[in-house]
Order: sequence, then C-alpha cells, then structure tokens
Amino acid sequence: MPDSLIVLDKVNKWFGGLHALRDINLSVKAGEVVVVAGPSGSGKSTMCRTINRLETIDNGTIFVNGEPLPAEGRELAKLRSEVAMVFQQFNLFSHLNILDNVALGPMKVRRQPKAEAHQQARDLLVRVGIGDQAEKYPAQLSGGQQQRAAIARALAMRPKAILFDEPTSALDPEMVNEVLEVMTQLARDGMTMLVVTHEMGFARRVAHRVVFMDTGQIVEEAPPEAFFTNPQTERARDFLGKILK
Amino acid sequence: MTGADSHLFDAPGPRAVRRTIIGSGVAAVFAVALIVYVLMELSAKGQLSAAKWSPFLKYDLIKFLLHGLAYTAGAAVVSLGLALVLGIALGVGRLTRTAIIRMPCVAIVELGRGLPVLLSMLFLFLAFPLAFHIDLPAFWTVVLALVLYNGAVIAEIVRAGVLTLPKGQREAAFAIGLTGTQTMRLVLLPQALRIMLPSLISQLVVLIKDSALGFIVGYQELTAQAQSAALLFNNPLQTYVVVGVVYILVNSVLSEASTYLGERQKRTLSQKVVTAGDAVTIESR
Ligand SMILES: Nc1ncnc2c1ncn2[C@@H]1O[C@H](COP(=O)(O)OP(=O)(O)O)[C@@H](O)[C@H]1O
Ligand SMILES: [Mg+2]
Repeated sequence: MPDSLIVLDKVNKWFGGLHALRDINLSVKAGEVVVVAGPSGSGKSTMCRTINRLETIDNGTIFVNGEPLPAEGRELAKLRSEVAMVFQQFNLFSHLNILDNVALGPMKVRRQPKAEAHQQARDLLVRVGIGDQAEKYPAQLSGGQQQRAAIARALAMRPKAILFDEPTSALDPEMVNEVLEVMTQLARDGMTMLVVTHEMGFARRVAHRVVFMDTGQIVEEAPPEAFFTNPQTERARDFLGKILK
Repeated sequence: MTGADSHLFDAPGPRAVRRTIIGSGVAAVFAVALIVYVLMELSAKGQLSAAKWSPFLKYDLIKFLLHGLAYTAGAAVVSLGLALVLGIALGVGRLTRTAIIRMPCVAIVELGRGLPVLLSMLFLFLAFPLAFHIDLPAFWTVVLALVLYNGAVIAEIVRAGVLTLPKGQREAAFAIGLTGTQTMRLVLLPQALRIMLPSLISQLVVLIKDSALGFIVGYQELTAQAQSAALLFNNPLQTYVVVGVVYILVNSVLSEASTYLGERQKRTLSQKVVTAGDAVTIESR
C-alpha cells in the first residue's frame, strides 16, 4: 500500500466494555474521496477521530503517509495539522473573528508572518464564498457560513487530507447545499477526503468509494453506484431502505 | 416588584396582596419605632451632637481618611493583579495531566482557601523577619496574604471557566495542530477569562473588605485610619459609620459594574450581530 495516504490496519477500540471499532482495515489513497455511511452509533465518528488521534486506539496500527501515528508531542501536533478535521458542530473559536479563526493555525503552528497568514485566510474565505464575513464573529454567521469558515480553517493548514464528521448534520436543510458545494469543489481539486455523511446524493456524485459500517465493523466497501444499486449485505440493504425512502 | 422576583413566584392574587400590605405595614411600624428608639438613646448620650459629627467637615480629617482609602485601594488593586497571575497559574496547573505539576497546585489552592486571611497576615508578620532577617513592609504583608487567599479562589474560578467550555473548542484547537500549551493559552484561557470577568470584579469587593484586616499589622488602610481618627476626635461610632458608608458605596459601585458586565456578556452575541452587520455595510459603501 505504498500509495495510500491513510491506512488503518486491524484497528480495535473499546469504550469500557463496548467494542467500538472491530478489526478495522481501511486505506485511502491520495486524491481519493471516501464516504463513510452507517447507522447512528456504528463507530463512524470514532473511526474518523482515531485518524488524527482525538481518540486513541487499543490495538492495531494507523499509518499516515507511511508513518505510524505519533503518540504525543510536536510530532503528533504536526500530524494533526496535516490531517485536518471538520466537525459536525463547526467548533469555530468563539472569541476570534472569522479571519483570525482561519489564520491562527498558520501563524502559531506554521509560524507564518501575520500579513501572509491573513492574506491566505482572506483568499480561502473567498474560495468558500464568505469573503465578506471575515471580520465577523462565529456567532454572527449562519450555520452554513460557519461550516464553510471551518472548512477554510482546515484548508489554511494546507493539509494532505481532510476528515469530515457529518459536516451537514447540524445545518438547517436550506444550508446543506452551500456546504456540499464547497466540499464537491474540494474533491474536484483533488483533495483527499474521508467524509462521514448521510448525504447519499453527495456520495453518488463525488465519492470514489463508499464504506458501510455497522456495530463497529466495516461491513461493506464498494464504489457508490454498486453500493446503492446492489448492496451485498442485508444490513446495508436495511440501512439504505431507511435512508433513501 | 423586580423581574427576578416575578420569575420566582406566581403573580400575587388579591388575598396575597392584602396580606403583603398588612405585613409590610406592621414591619414598617416596628422598624421606624426601633430607629426612633435608637436615635433617642444616642441623642440622650450626646452621640448626635454637632461636636461628634462636625470633624468630618474638616479638610485634615477628610484627607486623613482619603489616605486610608487610597491605601485600601492600592492594596486591593495590587493584590487583585497578583492574585490573577497566581490564580491563572494555579488554575491551569490543576488542569494539567502531569501529577508533579498538578499536586503542588492542588496543595497551594487548598492552603489558600482554607487559611483565614487574618492568620496568613499574622504568620507573615511574625515569621518573615525571623526567616529573612528583615521586616516585611506592612503593604506586602497585607498584599501577600490577600494574594494567597484570592489567588486560590481565582484558581478555582479559572478551572471552572475552562471546564465549562464546550469540548469541541479544545478538539478543534488540537485538530489544527496546536500543542496542549498553545491550546490553553490561545483558545481556552481567553474564552474562560471572558466568562470570568464578572466573578473577578466580585472578587475585588471581597479583596477590598479583607484589606481592612491590614490594620492588625499596622497598614494604614481605611479602617486603621478610622481607628486613629476616632481616638483623636473621641467619636469612634460616628467615624465607623462614615467609613462603613464609604465601603458600602465603593463596593456597591463594583457590584453594579460586575452585574452590568454579566448582563452585557449575555447580550453580546445577539448585539454583535447588529453592530457588526452595520459595520460591514458601512465599510462596503
Ligand atoms: N467518549 C465515549 N465514551 C463512551 N462511549 C462512547 C464514546 N464515544 C462514542 N461512544 C460509543 O461508541 C459507539 C460509536 O459511537 P460513534 O463513533 O459516535 O458512532 P457514530 O458516529 O457512527 O454515530 C456508540 O455506541 C457510542 O455510544
Ligand atoms: Mg457520529
């Protein structure tokens, strides 16, 4: 798997007695867009979060760019800056305006000069369509705008890959598309993306592969067309029946 | 009736209103009677005489008491500043996962909270010269004792402030590659301090009142000055009344400020939407 950017190799995780991740094997190539689907509580977020070590794992190995995940310190911080994450709840820093939210990482992690970091932040905000919101605070933006700002914040680190954990689930329906459009554009530009989502339209149009999880396991893995038209397992059929009706 | 009361109780019906009026009336009669009685007794003993009260119109006495007020304010402000530094250090220290850092912080916080300020003052006053062969100036005796207690209290406020922040703030900071220390300094502390601002001002009120203990170690703050002045003019009761009123005035201004800041904080988010929206339209014109 030399060309795989992210590799999970027999990864297991327990929350106390709950076996949250069971022998997870997954690899994501550079430039690939992988959608993770599955019922609530199936371990999608947990898997996503292990990749930049917001959750630790109990056994198995995770490789990013061929290297096992560092356990701590500067190496871990560096890795996290290379694998960005976009959260369901946006998690913008509420005491900073949008521009500073986006510029903070480049300035403090990459030691970029302020002027340069701000210029880059402005460019990114324009790219996600909120160039006119730079001076506002997160609470003054709509959910869709906040999530686009969060994507700009992730992009500012020039990451090798971005993890999305249900990026549109906390949004009012009318704002879902503006975020999906930004994500679609990112995929077109060749970004490596692991996306936990229930947006099956997005999965069909943009994903190279769909990974279906249930009870902590990867149950099925297929190109979107094959997964949606011809699911191989009962559990996947069940899930699709519920979500597509 | 204030807004807060009306949230706590049902709106009173006619019978409750009648009972309230009668109750208040009876209480008022008793209160007035008590005040009249006390004033008559005081008057009979010459306590309301011009001789006892007129000194407060003298420039020298006013200046003497203002000196005390300035010393009180000085000790309170310096103590608050240092207590803030100590409190942030201890509060953050208690949140670290390294036991070698956390344990001493826990110990100091417990010591500071548990020890009466008066005892720490006396201890510093007695032990410092023995240990270091110089007297600790009265100002620093007062300040250090106040810093120990208030630093411990502020440490707890800081810790609570950081812990109430949504955990997504910390995770988002980690996710862009900030280290633990950077996350605390750049993301968590600034937000926690904002939440804490009203509590900090309330703490200043506590500090001002506790600084009155400084008279024990010869610090010439307001209460100590009042004591000296009272000896000179032979009017202790009157002096303490005047000084008490000064304390109440200063502290109620601070309390008001703290309430105001708290309220403003609650409104800030909704307000910011309007003001920043305006700012943007003005800018883009
Ligand atoms: N921090 C935690 N502590 C204990 N259990 C957790 C924790 N996080 C998640 N879980 C449990 O692990 C399982 C998988 O959760 P999650 O990965 O969030 O699922 P999904 O994102 O697919 O809905 C669930 O049963 C959930 O209750
Ligand atoms: Mg989830």
